[in-house]
Amino acid sequence: MNPMNTASHPQQRQFNPYTENGGTILAIAGLDFSVIAGDTRQSEGYNIQTRYAPKVFRLTDRAVLAVNGFAADGNMFVKKVKQRLEWYRHAHAKDMPLHAIARLIQTMLYARRFFPYYVYNILGGIEDDGSGAVYSFDPVGSYERETCRAAGAAQSLVQPFLDNQIYFKNQQPALGTSHPAHLPLPQVLRLVIDSFTGATERHIEVGDGLEMFVVLAKGHDLAGLEGIAGLQEMSTKSDGERIFVIRRELKKD
Amino acid sequence: MEYNGGSVIAMVGKGCVAIGSDLRLGNQALTVATNFEKVFPVTDRIYIGMSGLATDVATLREQFRFRVNMYTIKEEREIEPESFAHLVSSTLYERRFGPYFIEPVMAGLWKTQAGEYKPYIAAADLIGCLNFAKDFVVAGTASEKLFGVAEGLWEPDLEPEDLFETISQTLLNGVDRDAYSGWGAVIHVILPDKVITRTLKGRMD
Amino acid sequence: MFLTRSEYDRGVNTFSPEGRLFQVEYAIEAIKLGSTTVGVRTPEGVVLGVEKRVQSPLLESASIEKIMEIDTHLGCAMSGLTADARTMIDHARVTAQNHSFTYNEQIKVESATQAVCDLALRFGESVHEEEAMMSRPFGVALLIAGIDELGPQLFHTDPSGTFMRYEAKAIGSGSEAAQSELQDKWHKQMTLREAEILTLRVLKQVMEEKLDHHNVQLAQVTPGKGFEILDEVKLKELVDDM
Repeated sequence: MNPMNTASHPQQRQFNPYTENGGTILAIAGLDFSVIAGDTRQSEGYNIQTRYAPKVFRLTDRAVLAVNGFAADGNMFVKKVKQRLEWYRHAHAKDMPLHAIARLIQTMLYARRFFPYYVYNILGGIEDDGSGAVYSFDPVGSYERETCRAAGAAQSLVQPFLDNQIYFKNQQPALGTSHPAHLPLPQVLRLVIDSFTGATERHIEVGDGLEMFVVLAKGHDLAGLEGIAGLQEMSTKSDGERIFVIRRELKKD
Repeated sequence: MEYNGGSVIAMVGKGCVAIGSDLRLGNQALTVATNFEKVFPVTDRIYIGMSGLATDVATLREQFRFRVNMYTIKEEREIEPESFAHLVSSTLYERRFGPYFIEPVMAGLWKTQAGEYKPYIAAADLIGCLNFAKDFVVAGTASEKLFGVAEGLWEPDLEPEDLFETISQTLLNGVDRDAYSGWGAVIHVILPDKVITRTLKGRMD
Repeated sequence: MFLTRSEYDRGVNTFSPEGRLFQVEYAIEAIKLGSTTVGVRTPEGVVLGVEKRVQSPLLESASIEKIMEIDTHLGCAMSGLTADARTMIDHARVTAQNHSFTYNEQIKVESATQAVCDLALRFGESVHEEEAMMSRPFGVALLIAGIDELGPQLFHTDPSGTFMRYEAKAIGSGSEAAQSELQDKWHKQMTLREAEILTLRVLKQVMEEKLDHHNVQLAQVTPGKGFEILDEVKLKELVDDM
């Protein structure tokens, strides 16, 4: 074929501004705590770009944001949210409350309705009333407060498991008893770890490392946290809400 | 797979196996029937479940019945699970370039030399590539969800009643997150001397 | 070459050699021509009171509007060129609505006050092709009352864009007498009713006409009901009890 000929054929090129970078995130709210977790593998197609790319970020002493989808958009979005939180701190002389961050994220996402951040967000933390909370978002800002939510590559693997174990779906309580609305921290951590090991086992885009952020309400004792391997405190004050991160290895194959 | 919808699953227990399916039959998004079982007995100790195109499910059920009967007559003995799995595999591969649109899941017990029964499960893709698993196999429109829940709930050496609970919870919670599957389920727990069959109500929507 | 003193008060963006902005100072003077307006803060809420000067028997006193709502938890009373206050309150309302839209929470009293004061300094000549600015300072002072997570608060703003928080504050023509009366009578554990009565008494002292439920207006911000302007029935009852 004559290379000169190629120009005579009509050709179409398209720039695709989005990529899907795999990975999964998950958050569960307790009565007075919240756990927000994500794996650390970042991939493009069958190619692993890095085994450690954090998807879960501390925003304030009582808010943690997990982002999943297109990593470039996710990182930029977190950066912009953090910037807005700083501006808010200067304008109103306080940290933004969790429900306000949730609404802010909606307005920021919807502002890009016609060129969206290709990102699923899950926000977790402590509300002003001291309760644990999880907010989940779609890429254009629809949001909802929930008790638990999984998103990302292994959402379809993890979410029905959580329906069963957190919401007790398809389970009947023993006569005269009822299902608890919230689970204790050690059990929540076990479920998070099980969810991610399960997802790692069956999904190629999930694995390498696990980061679990734990946000404890003011005055919550460390019950279930002391002595846990890989624990690190992230809070700036010791008298308010406290944030910890627990890092675990996941299978790398 | 999405034309009629539906999902099947099989699990290994201690000296027993379980297999189950949902009951929905759809025409794409429209639900046509809510009593469409996708699991069928092959022998007293072997069951096969098929998810996929409903017409092929019906055709293959008869095809397998015919072939197993021929096997029994010729060999003068009941077919073993592993032989049946290969029968299924070769039946599907015959249509390598114009396949039946089903994914089979098989569960059974096989007799050892010592006379005890050991669990056996297997699954295959639509052209008969076999997958022997030690824990569980799934197929159908809710397969991803079933994998996720099963991975979290299943553990080795489950007694029959615990196995029943595990497979039921896995199936019910899996299909609840799938629009193409659901409307209740049927579970068979295969034991050496009997099969326990139970029909389950799920969230009927 | 020095301009004469009187020439420094021409430009709104020119300091005098003594470091004063005459137009702003004159604007502050304009407030002293306005009717008296009083605000009192208590632990139970904030009370705002204004005198409505009914200059003619043909004037519908109900049409004099000197207390306005900014948001359900924010109210505002004014003195001076009340027409200017419309621009400011409009701005405060938009800011408050924007805040609850963006953050799903009510704006703090101080933040709303700050927003109004930011606007107060946007006078002068537009430098580049910026949006059209205001030609002169506002000629009005506001008492902004509200409740947020820090409790009931009362702020005073003036045309220079300065704002300060007060326990009790009077502005307008009778403000000097009123302020010293407030200083005497205000105490920390005042009830809302005591504050209402105090507001009326202070207004009565500085008003030329005899105070009745037609020529004053009272409003309050409470944790339970937020901002509300008291109706004439309630007002009459208070005036009678005074």
